[in-house]
Amino acid sequence: MHGQLTRRALLAAGGAAALTGVAGCATGGISNREAVRLAPGATGPLRGRITVWSWDSAAAALTRLAKKFEARHPGTAVHVVDIGYDNAYDKITVGLRADTGLADLLTVEGSQLPAYIGNFPKGLHDLTDLVGRHAGDFDKAAWKTVVSEEGRAFALPWDIGPLALYYRSDLFARAGVDPHSLRTWDDYVKAGVAVKEKTGTKLLIMDPNEDSFFPCLLQQQGHRWYKDGGKVALGTPQAVRALTLIKALGDRGLIRWERGWDGLVTATKEGKVASTPYAAWWSGTLTGEMPELKGKFGVVPLPAFTPGGPRTSNDGGSTLCIPAQSKNPRLAWAFTRFLLTDKDNQVSMLKREGLFPAYLPALKHPYLSAPQDYYGGQRAWRVFADLAPHIPPVERNKDGAKAKDIANKAVSGAVLRGHDPAGELRAAAAQLAGATGRETVSGSLR
Amino acid sequence: MAVQTPAAPPVPLPAPARARHPRRPRLTHWIFAGPATVLFAVFFAYPLGASFYQSFTSTENGRTTWVGLSQYARMLHDPSFLDSMVNTGLILVVQVPLMIGLALVLAVLLNQSWLRFRGTWRAVYFLPAVTTLVAYAVVFQVLLKTDGGLVNQTATALGLSPIDWLNDPTWARVALIGSMTWRWAGYNAVILLAGLQSIGREQHEAAAIDGAGTLTTYTKVILPQLRPVVLFCVITSTIGTLQLFDENYTLTKGGPDDATLTPVLYLYKVGFQQMDFGYAAAIAWVVVAVIAVISFLQFRFFGRERKR
Repeated sequence: MHGQLTRRALLAAGGAAALTGVAGCATGGISNREAVRLAPGATGPLRGRITVWSWDSAAAALTRLAKKFEARHPGTAVHVVDIGYDNAYDKITVGLRADTGLADLLTVEGSQLPAYIGNFPKGLHDLTDLVGRHAGDFDKAAWKTVVSEEGRAFALPWDIGPLALYYRSDLFARAGVDPHSLRTWDDYVKAGVAVKEKTGTKLLIMDPNEDSFFPCLLQQQGHRWYKDGGKVALGTPQAVRALTLIKALGDRGLIRWERGWDGLVTATKEGKVASTPYAAWWSGTLTGEMPELKGKFGVVPLPAFTPGGPRTSNDGGSTLCIPAQSKNPRLAWAFTRFLLTDKDNQVSMLKREGLFPAYLPALKHPYLSAPQDYYGGQRAWRVFADLAPHIPPVERNKDGAKAKDIANKAVSGAVLRGHDPAGELRAAAAQLAGATGRETVSGSLR
Repeated sequence: MAVQTPAAPPVPLPAPARARHPRRPRLTHWIFAGPATVLFAVFFAYPLGASFYQSFTSTENGRTTWVGLSQYARMLHDPSFLDSMVNTGLILVVQVPLMIGLALVLAVLLNQSWLRFRGTWRAVYFLPAVTTLVAYAVVFQVLLKTDGGLVNQTATALGLSPIDWLNDPTWARVALIGSMTWRWAGYNAVILLAGLQSIGREQHEAAAIDGAGTLTTYTKVILPQLRPVVLFCVITSTIGTLQLFDENYTLTKGGPDDATLTPVLYLYKVGFQQMDFGYAAAIAWVVVAVIAVISFLQFRFFGRERKR
């Protein structure tokens, strides 16, 4: 800023160009076309070449299994590109709008996919005719993320993120709290106070800018941002209960604020918190980045809001989808099936890359019942595998990103600025309704 | 200045020698102007026009429709957009004067004849402006870390309580203003220094002979002559603030509680994360309008005095 007029002007022009270059194409390009249905039928050997976009450990898994796939199908080539997480969605969004430039197969998180299905109804291949017999093999909650509001399938679920409570067994022992006694979130708050008193350690980490805990607490209670056919659900009693819990944790000084993924990893490694209510895939980070903490973690089901209520939720998890612009959708689909509907390949991705399978038959594999050294001999994968079928499936639509930003504001307003949770949520629900042109659910706060 | 003299007699002018070459654009002209024209049309004119058009449309379920002014009307009731404007106003009122003031002091100091290693000092103050954004962001994240950050360590050593710089809405604003000032004060100081150096020594001498002290010399003689340079700094800084994106994107992502959200960061979120391109384009055009109006007012306000 300040003075760099030319660079700024260029940036502004570039931004405007990006915004609009994209628009020009969208009007002429995709909008007049039907969604391309990919149908069974073509036979004969697979051949040709596809490019796959992914990132981090998911890209590592793809690269490893691509070799196996190529060996099984001579004449095919699968080229995996790690596009990095940070700009992945900018790239995919622009590619879908421009109707050009995308890979043949894309990794898209389940939380993001409904936005693409909704905003680009002709942007992805409709896989409904192919997936039919696989539908029941995938986790119900994950399946919800890959189908449109009309029930058409546009991707296959890859991994899921069932939530449980990771705890530091040494700190809980010192505070004299039995983690298995944490049945409700009230128990959790009380335990946190005890742990902080005895050990001086805070209870959990939250991100002040990009929170993911609040939506998980919503899903645990059966809805996320929307329910009842696309109505705004930020002002529900469930939402108030979730935000009141977070505020209670904040008011007792049990939250440690850390920005971003690096903050979370570093603070956990340094032992700054006693627990992490987080997804199954967090385990890969613990074992990979904090081997020195071996034997100090345990896993129990998430505390419930009411005794006997659901003991899990979901955070993250990805899918694989084939853009309509793909030149070789048949090969892309064959590779997808090979990866995601094969028990052994799915289990190998859990073993090697820490991706927890959404493919239910894989959860019965003996590997998931083996004791794990890292967790002091506890059968940690079993805890997640048993919780996975109980993840409450929730409604999703294209306006998830809008809700996330607005809800973030409500969370920091209540916890950091000390505002009343119900008031913050009422305002947030109204703002979201305004931004999306949707109604709020009846029975919401007025 | 072309002064019109309507009553001028119609004296037939002798045909200039060049009249034999008609002033119609010829192929050669276009060959020279061509590349620039094409680049301008593709990368400037087309995006500008298309984004202006887009700001009157809305895309729902892949279908784009004309919605008139409703995207503009939305801004009036959008708390996040209004927050972003308030934040920008706050930065304009607090940070720009603070930074220009600091830059002036630095420029005057750098202009002193007794200062040694002047080139080095100038480079040191200018460096932040050319530092890559990523390095800048990482350094400030580390400096401002809540525990273990250098700023808080110093504060604790001085007996002050540590501050949760980037996680508290109020302090995050302070941190943003501080880091922006660090990055751009030196840049403006160098521009002001160039202005100071164009004012000859004889003016200092003349003021001294007339009995003016150092302070009077600066306030009554030097600064008034520096006005156009200060105006340049103020306007570019104002435009920069209104287009603020990189600093707050890298430091706080606009949070917590939208405390550091700016219109351009918000339009990025609306466009690229929420895929609401029509609304994002409308926000962009409001930013353009605000910049135009404020720059115009600043020219009027500062510029007129110059002519007296």
